[in-house]
Amino acid sequence: MTLLRASALSGGYGGDEVVHAVDLAVAEGECAAVLGPNGAGKSTLLRLLAGILPASSGNVELRGKSLLAWRRREVAREVGFVPQIVNLAFPLTVTEVVQQGRAPHLGPWRPPSPRDHAAVEAAIARVGLSDRSTVAVQRLSGGERQLVLLARALASEPRLLLLDEPTAALDVRHQLELAGILHQLVSEGVGAVLVAHDWNFALRLAQRLVVLHHGRVWAAGPPEDVMRPELFRDVFGVEVDILRRDDGPPMVLPRTLAKR
Amino acid sequence: MTRGADLALVAVLLLAAAAALVFGGPAASPGEALAALSGSGSPEVRTIVLGLRLPRLALALVVGAALALAGAALQALLSNPLADPFLLGISGGGAAAATAAYVVLPAAALGVVPAAAMAGAAAATGLVWWMARGPLGPSSTRMILAGVAVNAATSAAILTMLALAPSPRLPGVIAVTMGSLASASLGQVGWLAPYVLVPAFVLLLHGRDLGLLATGEESAAALGVEVATVRRRVFLAAAALCGGAVAFAGVIGFVGLVTPHLCRLVWGGSTRRLLPRAALAGATLTVLGDLLARRVLAPAELPVGVVTALLGVPFFVALLRRSA
Repeated sequence: MTLLRASALSGGYGGDEVVHAVDLAVAEGECAAVLGPNGAGKSTLLRLLAGILPASSGNVELRGKSLLAWRRREVAREVGFVPQIVNLAFPLTVTEVVQQGRAPHLGPWRPPSPRDHAAVEAAIARVGLSDRSTVAVQRLSGGERQLVLLARALASEPRLLLLDEPTAALDVRHQLELAGILHQLVSEGVGAVLVAHDWNFALRLAQRLVVLHHGRVWAAGPPEDVMRPELFRDVFGVEVDILRRDDGPPMVLPRTLAKR
Repeated sequence: MTRGADLALVAVLLLAAAAALVFGGPAASPGEALAALSGSGSPEVRTIVLGLRLPRLALALVVGAALALAGAALQALLSNPLADPFLLGISGGGAAAATAAYVVLPAAALGVVPAAAMAGAAAATGLVWWMARGPLGPSSTRMILAGVAVNAATSAAILTMLALAPSPRLPGVIAVTMGSLASASLGQVGWLAPYVLVPAFVLLLHGRDLGLLATGEESAAALGVEVATVRRRVFLAAAALCGGAVAFAGVIGFVGLVTPHLCRLVWGGSTRRLLPRAALAGATLTVLGDLLARRVLAPAELPVGVVTALLGVPFFVALLRRSA
């Protein structure tokens, strides 16, 4: 079943339109990766998909119903958004941050129920931080913090995950760990839209790629259709080698800057 | 641990309140004051304890709770540990308007000073909001910068008026700019109640939303917070709390800034848990500050804002070094 469908979606900030007429769909158990150079509009597209930023035109449907017809809290129960960074101005433990992910299920006065606590514990266990649950998040490494943000999004038990460059601050071990967790979630039926700079990370997970350039979809489809040397030359300005492998997804090796 | 700290806070609050009623000038000794509280004692002492000290205590409790609650809410709202009613120019706006009223109005019209303070705080709030507005609503950074600008302007206005004020009006001006609970009456407390109870309810209602906003607007919106609505309500509520406090007690600095930080040391960073405790702790600190203001240089009285600043600065420096 299609979880999220964007049609001719445009939007930006103030009068500046950053994303132009993007079509994109994600089904249950599917991961779509959004790739593109810096400033291509990837993070803006993710905010539009989450409904955090209002679209200037076009439309986003969540489970067949226009996003505008959903209440914000209802959207938050269905869609887990993993931002690049959060502001940690005040000391909070891992559990306290992950508990915030339950907020869409709670009223203003009701304290968390055993069901809520169980969801929080499960989310922390899923990212492998159970033994660090009482540690202040400020004391964690960048990689662990990213896992905490993923756990926070998972605590609301969403059907769809929107991830904004989750590997930006991660070392290679944490990247593989995160890839493993996301792979498992997708195989359990969760849908995911992954904004990424790292092609090889995206290729581990995504069945479909969407390449944005100047806010428009430049190419979209299965990796084998999208990944052509001309794309890297035209969109990113680099020459790459694409290594096709029998035992896994293809890999991208950047070689040199392309001649202009 | 939390339960024990809660009980300790309530105990300290009750002890401070009792001390504020029992300890005062030589006109009523602690023994006489206790007798008056239990219904006996001379009518003079009863007047001092129930007619002067009790209203003063009530005003200190309400104003302290209001300032600390406003500070805790603004710090979360703007995800900035420096935010408080003072930094955002709200207190300054109230103080400048009250000072202007003191300097300009005839003696018979000084009853409108609290109303002027309220209006000044509201005007400063509106000005900060207007200056900070942007395509996506007011941003936290712009709001704090706008507050700094409004604060500088109100300080300049107050100093100008101080320089020009006729000398009989100076004590009133000083009471506004440095904070004083000396002219408290139960009527004032009654008048202030709606300005404190309604905003306090609004802030507690949005406690969870504020906790999410403290981690950033985008992440709060993604977790279901109607950011624009909550921000507007919380900012107005904090401004009302602060305007009410300035109207009847002048500018009492540092309570709004330091109390939330002290409470976070004990109860952690969860805003929802913090808000009610900050209110109680702010009330306690203000009662203790006022007690010191009355007693340290007795029979002379210090402005309570001076005492809270003297107590608050070392705390603040210690917190700052701890975080380094």
